[in-house]
Amino acid sequence: MKKKGITSSFEERESDQSEKKRRQQEKYYMASQWQLMGRKLIKHKLAIISFVILGFLYFGALFAPFLAPKGLEDFSGTYSNAPPTKIHMFHEGQFVGPFVYRYKVERDVFENKIFTEDDSEICPIRFFVHGTEYKWLGIIKSDIHLFGVKNPNPDASTDPPQVLLFGADSLGRDLFSRILIGSQVSLTVPLVGTLISFLLAVIIGGISGYYGGIIDTVIQRIIEVISSFPTLPLWMALSAAIPPGISVVQVFVFITIIMSLLSWPPLARTVRSNFLSLKKSDFVLAARLAGVSDWQIICKHLIPGFMSYLIVSLTLGIPNMILGETSMSFLGLGMRAPATSWGVLLQECQSIGNIANCPWKLIPLIFVGLAVLAFNFLGDGLRDAADPYK
Amino acid sequence: MAETILKVENLSKVFTSGKTKIRAVNNVTFHVCQGETVGIVGESGCGKTTLGRCIVRAHQSTEGKVLYRAADGQEYDLQNIDKKQLLKIRREIQMIFQDPYSSLDPRMTVYDIILEPLKANFKDMPKKEMEERVKTMALKVGLNPSYLKRYPHAFSGGQRQRIGIARALILYPRLIVCDEAVSALDVSVQAQVINLLKDLQKEMNLTYLFISHDLSVVEHISDKVGVMYLGQMMEYAPTKQLFRKPFHPYSEALLSAVPIADPEIEMKRIPLNGEIPSPANAPSGCFFHTRCKYVKPQCAKDSVEILEKEEMRYVACHLKDELDLSGIV
Amino acid sequence: MAENQVVLNVQDLKIGIKMEEGLLTPVRGVNFDLHTNETLGLVGESGCGKSLSCKAILGINSKNCITTGAIEFIEKDGEKKDIVSMSCAGKEIRKIRGKSISMIFQEPMSAFSPLFTVGRQMVETVYMHVTKDKKTAKEMVLDTMKKVGISNPEKRYRQYPHEFSGGMLQRALIAMALVCNPRILIADEPTTALDVTIQAQILELLKEIQDNYGMAILYITHDLGTVAQICDRVAVMYLGRIIETAPTKELFANPVHPYTKGLLGSVHKIGGGSGRLFSIEGSVPLAMNLEDRCGFYDRCTDKDVLLCGGVEPGLKQVGEDHYAACCLDFKK
Repeated sequence: MKKKGITSSFEERESDQSEKKRRQQEKYYMASQWQLMGRKLIKHKLAIISFVILGFLYFGALFAPFLAPKGLEDFSGTYSNAPPTKIHMFHEGQFVGPFVYRYKVERDVFENKIFTEDDSEICPIRFFVHGTEYKWLGIIKSDIHLFGVKNPNPDASTDPPQVLLFGADSLGRDLFSRILIGSQVSLTVPLVGTLISFLLAVIIGGISGYYGGIIDTVIQRIIEVISSFPTLPLWMALSAAIPPGISVVQVFVFITIIMSLLSWPPLARTVRSNFLSLKKSDFVLAARLAGVSDWQIICKHLIPGFMSYLIVSLTLGIPNMILGETSMSFLGLGMRAPATSWGVLLQECQSIGNIANCPWKLIPLIFVGLAVLAFNFLGDGLRDAADPYK
Repeated sequence: MAETILKVENLSKVFTSGKTKIRAVNNVTFHVCQGETVGIVGESGCGKTTLGRCIVRAHQSTEGKVLYRAADGQEYDLQNIDKKQLLKIRREIQMIFQDPYSSLDPRMTVYDIILEPLKANFKDMPKKEMEERVKTMALKVGLNPSYLKRYPHAFSGGQRQRIGIARALILYPRLIVCDEAVSALDVSVQAQVINLLKDLQKEMNLTYLFISHDLSVVEHISDKVGVMYLGQMMEYAPTKQLFRKPFHPYSEALLSAVPIADPEIEMKRIPLNGEIPSPANAPSGCFFHTRCKYVKPQCAKDSVEILEKEEMRYVACHLKDELDLSGIV
Repeated sequence: MAENQVVLNVQDLKIGIKMEEGLLTPVRGVNFDLHTNETLGLVGESGCGKSLSCKAILGINSKNCITTGAIEFIEKDGEKKDIVSMSCAGKEIRKIRGKSISMIFQEPMSAFSPLFTVGRQMVETVYMHVTKDKKTAKEMVLDTMKKVGISNPEKRYRQYPHEFSGGMLQRALIAMALVCNPRILIADEPTTALDVTIQAQILELLKEIQDNYGMAILYITHDLGTVAQICDRVAVMYLGRIIETAPTKELFANPVHPYTKGLLGSVHKIGGGSGRLFSIEGSVPLAMNLEDRCGFYDRCTDKDVLLCGGVEPGLKQVGEDHYAACCLDFKK
């Protein structure tokens, strides 16, 4: 019997609220492990921000040749060691749109270059310009870049003007473009290497944990031996052993395999210890008594059981690989020309003079730090959300 | 008289850890008749949980036999049959666990948990029929079928235990080992689950092996009781008779120590000297002799065997014919 | 024997915990008092708020618990102290903890740190409250250990917790609680984790030390058997409130509140036949956004819709020293 007036709307609101609460509760009851984890993760703001940042970084890596104004090897004598170009909007008081000025190069007493802007000519920045040709993902040919500078005076003797968001290196190559293209290696090698480690860890750790006994003992000893090697020197030694004249892709594959071969042991240990503890659970015994086969138990009970922990270990292991690859390439033992990665880009920072005169060459470091921190924070958030049943 | 469904003969289980040998179950012999409930009681270290797990073949025993009479009338030694036969027989013997929180896989829906035994044993059954059977079983144990798509974290301890019972019963087994099935539940919830177990026993003609440390619950639900101490079965008798007049000093001491929920009855506890010895360092002779108030020199020297004293009453005591013990009326 | 004095007076104790989904109110108005030389049993199932209420007496609940009401502790000299008003980390309450009011817990193994000897941990209490003189303190501890029945206390003093058995460690925990001669001993399910025979020993020990020390014991449990054996008075809790309180014999003989009746009916008495156990329907509701009426309304089989649908009842006298919070009229 509905009462009229204010009371009825209050009652309606009350019943709506309780209906809403009931639906919320029902959703919670029907939430699987991943949904519960996701809800907890969303509350961890730092992890979400990191996830978004990583999203941008990987997006950049995926569309690198398109987003970069210049190709990997486009060099310019004029622009060698040029500082980042300022982007202007107004020329002589009038709004023109985004543009840059050419650089006028002069030399000072010590033969160092001084760059000043030649504000006589506007070099407008255009979007979706034609530039250096590239093959996206090795399949699609294109020459369209997101933005670039139109050369107002193509017949001039000096090199065409460039927009250098992060400055140029000693060969006049746009650092921004090279960072983008380098990110393809710096972000993929650790990821692929980690996935390979993941597979090795699950298989080897799983066998070790499930069967126990002699197999377990032998595998554990192997893990201990591999873990006791210092990672970086071993990586360096193995990569020095890579034969010189091979293709870029092959180098990439070699580096990835080397890194993953040395990172699976700690993951395998995590898998094994989780297997051991889950094996003793009552619900595993109940499944055995019900006649469920060993293989089914592994797939349906054990693997989902430790998956969340494994993902946490993986996410926290990626930064290590990023730093490893960067360090190796920095020392010249990783990626080789013409391929590049953030570590290779940092090679120019090996002399103090270089850094002092051209501090923008340290910018790849910011990206490395960003990627490492982002993975760490994401891993932290995942770890907090990992066991929703505690 | 009902047929014997389970005969445990000289069952022993020894755990070796480096140099220490722990005799968790030591030469246990008893039998269970179909349709009845046998309670197994004892304190920590007595081996009752290990006994239960050996019976369902979760552990491989070191010695002895577990003779089970299957539905086809044949007797199988569960400890010594091959894998194929074991898989077939396993359908008839199931277990209900103590902890309602760790006995259900939190990552599966309740529907999948109850369905799992069915799927594993009847791969060719049509999906609709499996669904029907799961829903029927859920109703039988008092669960609302519309909640089946929820995950275990949505349910309370008592409800989870019901899910565990449904999972154990979906294959219509004949023998169920209840390993402290109600110990982790609140008092009022315990009553619900005990009533449920009794109803299901009548309805489905089940035989229970009820392992517990709670003597009040065991007295309520069991037809026969076995008292265990340090891996040995010290006494085995019909419940009422054992509680009224035990034949073993340990049973007497145990009964005297149970707090009765009636303030008018005063406890006359029979003190036991010392502590329960560790199973790794079991005393010589009769394991109980270090704490027994009736101890005689013979007890420290010769080990005991469980022997029949009266009809259906078995006791493992050197002095069984001399002692006159008192129980709880 | 001297007349039993009131040593603790709890009035309208309420504890709330702020959660995302709302305010959880596990304790919604607890009233009881405790006298010297008496064992009061606080009985209830999980979630009724008994542990939280007793931890509030010592101010050891977590920081996100909002406690209101009055917990009045009366010292030997008659001085009254309000515990709720004391800061949980302050000096005042630390003077009371371990000295005037002590607590023993369910798991003795987790109550002791595995890194230090038992003696060292027990003597810490003495250093805090009585004397800093090592020799006197050690003697006090050894004396108490003897009183609780720990044989060979000198040797045990130097041992680590893992070298003790469960029962022995519980005795050590009791000794640690008694060493400064407290006025009140709060025992939070001290025998739940112990074997039956050891449990019986500890229960006897508690009774013995009460006779010797004359202190009050607040015994928290869900086991009606132990309540029947050692408690003088019983208070039954349900959903954050005390719904019945009476002397033990009276409560078991004439339970008034339907929940008490249900609880007593659910427990099998040894020797009581194997009839069907009474089971209370449904389960304990979540202590959030509760309506202001009897907490047991939804599960009660004796309820009268007219009488019981109204405001939540308070404790009413239904017999000599027997109070029940029920709307139904039970006065004889």
